Amino acid sequence: MEIRSSPESGELLFGIIGRMVVSVSHLSKYYQVHQKEPGFIGSLKSLLARHYETVKAIDDISFEISEGELVGFIGPNGAGKTTTLKCLSGLLYPTNGRISVLGFTPFQRKKEFLKKIALVMGQKNQLWWDLPAVDTFALNKEIYEVPQKQFDQTLFELARLLDVKDLLNVAVRKLSLGQRMKMELIAALIHSPKVLFLDEPTIGLDVVMQQKLREFIKEYNSRYKATIILTSHYMGDVEALCKRVIIINSGRILYDGLLLELVKKYAPYKTITVVFRDYVDPKKLADFGEIKNFDHPKLELRVSSKQVGKITSEILEQFEIEDLTIEEPEIEDVIREVFSKKE
Amino acid sequence: MNLRAYLLVVKNTWEETVAYRFNFVMWRLRVVLQILTLYFLWLAIIPNKASIFGYDQSQILTYILGTSIFSSVILSTRSHEIGEQINRGDLSNFLLRPINYFFYWFARDLGDKAMNILFATVELTILFFILRPPLIVQLNLLFIIFTFISAVLALILYFLFNILLGFLGFWSPETWAPRFIFMTVISFFAGGLFPLDILPKAMFSVFQLLPFPYLLYFPLKVYLGKMTLFEMSNGIFISVLWILVLHWMAKLIWLRGLRLYTAQGR
Repeated sequence: MEIRSSPESGELLFGIIGRMVVSVSHLSKYYQVHQKEPGFIGSLKSLLARHYETVKAIDDISFEISEGELVGFIGPNGAGKTTTLKCLSGLLYPTNGRISVLGFTPFQRKKEFLKKIALVMGQKNQLWWDLPAVDTFALNKEIYEVPQKQFDQTLFELARLLDVKDLLNVAVRKLSLGQRMKMELIAALIHSPKVLFLDEPTIGLDVVMQQKLREFIKEYNSRYKATIILTSHYMGDVEALCKRVIIINSGRILYDGLLLELVKKYAPYKTITVVFRDYVDPKKLADFGEIKNFDHPKLELRVSSKQVGKITSEILEQFEIEDLTIEEPEIEDVIREVFSKKE
Repeated sequence: MNLRAYLLVVKNTWEETVAYRFNFVMWRLRVVLQILTLYFLWLAIIPNKASIFGYDQSQILTYILGTSIFSSVILSTRSHEIGEQINRGDLSNFLLRPINYFFYWFARDLGDKAMNILFATVELTILFFILRPPLIVQLNLLFIIFTFISAVLALILYFLFNILLGFLGFWSPETWAPRFIFMTVISFFAGGLFPLDILPKAMFSVFQLLPFPYLLYFPLKVYLGKMTLFEMSNGIFISVLWILVLHWMAKLIWLRGLRLYTAQGR
């Protein structure tokens, strides 16, 4: 089942913004996974006759992405996010369906296609381990045929944004994980790709670095009009960066639309937190909404979004209040809601 | 083809080897010990001025020392990393960039070979002055040209073998066992231990149809000048044929393998 957001937002997404960059229709990717029974007997059995099982990593998904969009792929481990990115960047041969990225069929891996895209994976490295990162950059300059002037400019810019200017000539094996991650990012962006696939870009980074990287991605998106698709475990990444999200589970799309609409649709409630001045009888409160937590003098009340105004004024009228706040639901709760409804 | 990119790969590989000097020196030491063992073995077997299987002492010693230079150049490779790259998913880094994987590895091997040639030259100069072996220096231009051509073909042939062994990684994570068998086969069939034509004639004529003798035996035999023009052309023809066959296989297997490639990471 695939749920799209309301028609108005759909129009906003697909109609107004210009050129289509990514178009995926009925894409499937199945893996043959070798199954082995546990223990020695199992090993012997698998030596003689291997038992394979088909795993549907992606199962008939379709979506389109326009130029300049920054889209977040959300889903639990093994949902098919990374597999989708690998199909889009031409690493994997699709079992079924059609993919078009910038008008190219990714798996053919045409030179002109590869020059315009980049896939950054948090746990992958293309840097030469024993050499300074700048050697890898220089090699990529030649591979991507980047003019010297553009190369110098891009490298300067990226090194400044990521704050690694002093580390360019240090052997990669001597860098910390975070520093290496930044270098990987520079290596992947030195040819100024128009389409960027980011798989868990902030994995293993500390909070400050995560924040910096987010800012960087945002700036890259707006400055180069680059189309960016990113997957992340950290809802923070998605919340900070993506207007549009695609939620995927067990290889199928559950939701494709604006993040805001998602909240409206799956979590049409807000949380009112009240701190009372005097003692209040809990029975009196039950009529206002669902009590999430009441630990006198603090009350957390969940009410439908439409009634927030009304209920808030009623509470203010009837009780002596110390403090009152209204909060949007946590994105993570919303996502959980989506998954629980689908199961 | 973007030549400068591949030249940089050669340069980077060279510098990488420098980063692991000690490892490399140890490897070369092993090679030197190997040469010395064979050298003294043959010195004992053929006394001065005697000959065996149609080889006199200087010819045999030239052959044995020659195999050490030639194998430094021809039988040195980094491409055993290919299988690991496929299984670890590092191959993705190459598939994502507009770079030819075959040329990349060929360039990498050249960088590796350059370092080996440098060391082999120094070692042999030292050995030459210590042992003062009676060597044959080929001056006939025809033989020198044919030696060069056959060595280049041998290098390509060996490269293709290694690529193919690496591509097994698409089907199985265990690429080392077949490689060990291959190395054992090579050490005998390529003629690194002794000139192959001292084997029984029937056996030798079958060997000549296989690609292995063209890795070491053939180029050295040409260098010694112990071949007719017809024999040399014939050998080169067979090498080229094998190169074409192996190249075709490698391409086919590469394309097949890519369809199975799962780009997994650990």
